[in-house]
Amino acid sequence: MSKTAIVCDSNTAITQAQAKEMGIYVLPSPFHIEGQTYYEDVSLTTDQFYQKLSDKIDVATSQPSPEAVMGLWDRALEDHDELVYIPLSSGLSGSCSSAYGYSQEPKYEGRVYVIDNQRVSVTQRQSVLDAMLLADMGKGAKEICDILTEDKFNSSIYIMLDTLYYLKKGGRITPAVAALGTLLRLKPVLQIQGEKLDTYAKARTVKQGKEIMIDAVKRDIKNRFGGLDNPGGVFLSIAHTHNLEAAMEFKAEVEALFPQFGEVHVDELSLVIACHLGPGALALTATKKLPYYDESL
Amino acid sequence: MNTIDAQLFAKMFLAGAKNLESKKEWINELNVFPVPDGDTGTNMTMTIMSAAREIADIDEPNLENLSKAISSGSLRGARGNSGVILSQLFRGFTKAIRDKEAIDVPLMAVALEKAVETAYKAVMKPKEGTILTVARGVSVKARELADAGCEDMAELLAAILAEAEVVLEQTPELLPVLKQAGVVDSGGQGFVEVLRGWNDAYNGVEIDYTLEESAAAAAKAEPVQEEVDIKFGYCTEFIILLERPLRSRQEKDLKEFLESIGDSIVMVADDDIVKVHVHTNDPGMALQRALTYGQLSNMKIDNMRLEHKETLFKKAEKEAGEKAAVQVPEEPRKDVGFIAVSVGDGLNEIFESLGADQIITGGQTMNPSTEDILKAVDKVNADHIFILPNNSNIILAANQAKSLVKDKDIIVIPTKTIPQGITAMISFVPEMSIEENVENITSEIGAVKTGEVTYAVRDTTIDDKEIKCGDYMGIDGKTVLSVGADVTQVTLEMVNAMVDESTELISLYYGEDVSPEDAQKLSDRISELHADCDVEMQRGGQPIYYYIVSAE
Repeated sequence: MSKTAIVCDSNTAITQAQAKEMGIYVLPSPFHIEGQTYYEDVSLTTDQFYQKLSDKIDVATSQPSPEAVMGLWDRALEDHDELVYIPLSSGLSGSCSSAYGYSQEPKYEGRVYVIDNQRVSVTQRQSVLDAMLLADMGKGAKEICDILTEDKFNSSIYIMLDTLYYLKKGGRITPAVAALGTLLRLKPVLQIQGEKLDTYAKARTVKQGKEIMIDAVKRDIKNRFGGLDNPGGVFLSIAHTHNLEAAMEFKAEVEALFPQFGEVHVDELSLVIACHLGPGALALTATKKLPYYDESL
Repeated sequence: MNTIDAQLFAKMFLAGAKNLESKKEWINELNVFPVPDGDTGTNMTMTIMSAAREIADIDEPNLENLSKAISSGSLRGARGNSGVILSQLFRGFTKAIRDKEAIDVPLMAVALEKAVETAYKAVMKPKEGTILTVARGVSVKARELADAGCEDMAELLAAILAEAEVVLEQTPELLPVLKQAGVVDSGGQGFVEVLRGWNDAYNGVEIDYTLEESAAAAAKAEPVQEEVDIKFGYCTEFIILLERPLRSRQEKDLKEFLESIGDSIVMVADDDIVKVHVHTNDPGMALQRALTYGQLSNMKIDNMRLEHKETLFKKAEKEAGEKAAVQVPEEPRKDVGFIAVSVGDGLNEIFESLGADQIITGGQTMNPSTEDILKAVDKVNADHIFILPNNSNIILAANQAKSLVKDKDIIVIPTKTIPQGITAMISFVPEMSIEENVENITSEIGAVKTGEVTYAVRDTTIDDKEIKCGDYMGIDGKTVLSVGADVTQVTLEMVNAMVDESTELISLYYGEDVSPEDAQKLSDRISELHADCDVEMQRGGQPIYYYIVSAE
């Protein structure tokens, strides 16, 4: 029986099948559509979801229920002494603080550690991989939680939207983002730094938007993530909402520009995020690699 | 009499201004492109008239106060490239004469040299075959005569006028575009007319020296924002004799009340009195509210709509000064502000929606003056202000405004077209430093191609294209891309010439003379022909240009 379990939610875009293979637990996000509740990758496929979105059917998201969260924890704890739970960033969803509340129950004390490291999608997935590495190295849940929490600002996300429609509709719009509501058709580039989702810049064309994201990531690597001359020092990832072709093209462009950082991981943005951003979004993320990767070699 | 004293110099200057003014329309027509925007004559006239107005205010002229009036008046009134260069010529000229009693031949030679030197310095890339070349020819001639011992001012003035005309005739040889269009340089022609006025006045030729601008020029001379301000018709001023000192809360309340009924508010309070100035449509409400704080004195209410334009002009200037003095400390400055030059309600709205703090109305047909730009700068409470001239003929005036602003950092982005200005605003990234933004924006606007569709005002041949008066033309700034009798066809051909395989977005801004239906049809047609590109259509509402199109 291994010691520490890794539990996350489906915002990591890790499928149930992959979870099984990786030996981790993924909590599916619930969706409410026309009075029915669906679960990501369990009773709702990505294609079905986008079909509903494009049919302009209202798709509502909610936090996973306490039963669902604690039920999964209990399952994990059947085979493990303790666990870390890596949910969607507390800046975007209340599910992190709810989970923290559940973890205060006496039965979870000292056994369940909820990590609030402000990650989303591919960067949240990277946190899961980080936690797996640390667990493999024999670190306990508390130590993993401390390491990942301390690392929370070493990641940034830039997302180019195809439209502001869904963001406005979902009410997830800060004053700065609202200010983008102009007469012109713009492709806003948003950024997630820590808990804040905010506007970063505006583009008129996809090409401009990609340039903006590449330049922004370059600046972050240079100024915050250890510099551009540090081979393998940064994980670059691309996420998209139903935009695979563009994402693969972008992947090739980014890999050509940053050969020193190796392969760029590409994934769908989770459906919870997609619900608010709409289809056609493209994101570029950079995450500073934890020093433990070198130690573990 | 071989010297020019202050009295005579004032006369000569006014005569030069007057003569330029009378030739204005004719000079306008010397524009290379036959587009209805040939405003060199108007721009130069408005520049020199701004100086002439200041001279008219001087009771006892001497060369010192004349110099000051000419230099600051023309500098602040400068419009368009030729206007800015003219103002620099005057500035240099007056530098040499300001501490003298009278001008003799040697001093005239020195002053003309100084004028040319100053003007060349003000232009980043001096072009020959322009007003600069004519002015330099004049100064060389004056130097020759002075060195040869000439003392006769009449001879000198006649000789430099003759030389100016000779050099002017040569300008088509220096600038191929002039030659092809079959015209001499319009700015150079304007300068010749100024010298002709000087010469006539010196020789006592009968000229009416009183200043009266033509109705059109006067209407244009009115600063653009003033027209906006006049939505509140009564300039209302009074002093409240306070019964007890105002608490800061009360002061704020009163100010907010005034803001709710008008604008141009200036309010200064100490323990005993409050001085109030407001433009409002209901002066009674202002007075009634004020009465709740104490007795009123020094009341003055003017109907601004009926006032003579001249007084309006001066008061606005004075108010702008007062306002700047009073209002600056009140609110903390924001970091960055934007001023865009634009014309047409649709385009203005686009700039506002992108975050422009001030819009200066202007463009091809109406180049705003340095003064207009300075006023807009005054109104933007920011440490760094980006100015987007959006027209190649306004960039110099914007740079001139920059050199006159001391307390704010002014960044002129040399946008030559409206679409470049829009792209500049979109490209701004708040988190980057000013330097990084300037670099980024400059490279982005370089990727924007602009084409404009207008009509020809005369027959000519440009770029081997024969153009008839009334034809539609698609122009990209330097070249005529398409010509014809059908506006849709001309626009489509222009777009074809602009788009290449790297084009992703075609933006179409339709003008005030185009119906939304026609614009939609054209936009659909462009989408069909260029299926790889996004096509975005917006109402620009601009005059003169049926369509402004960008490809990026």
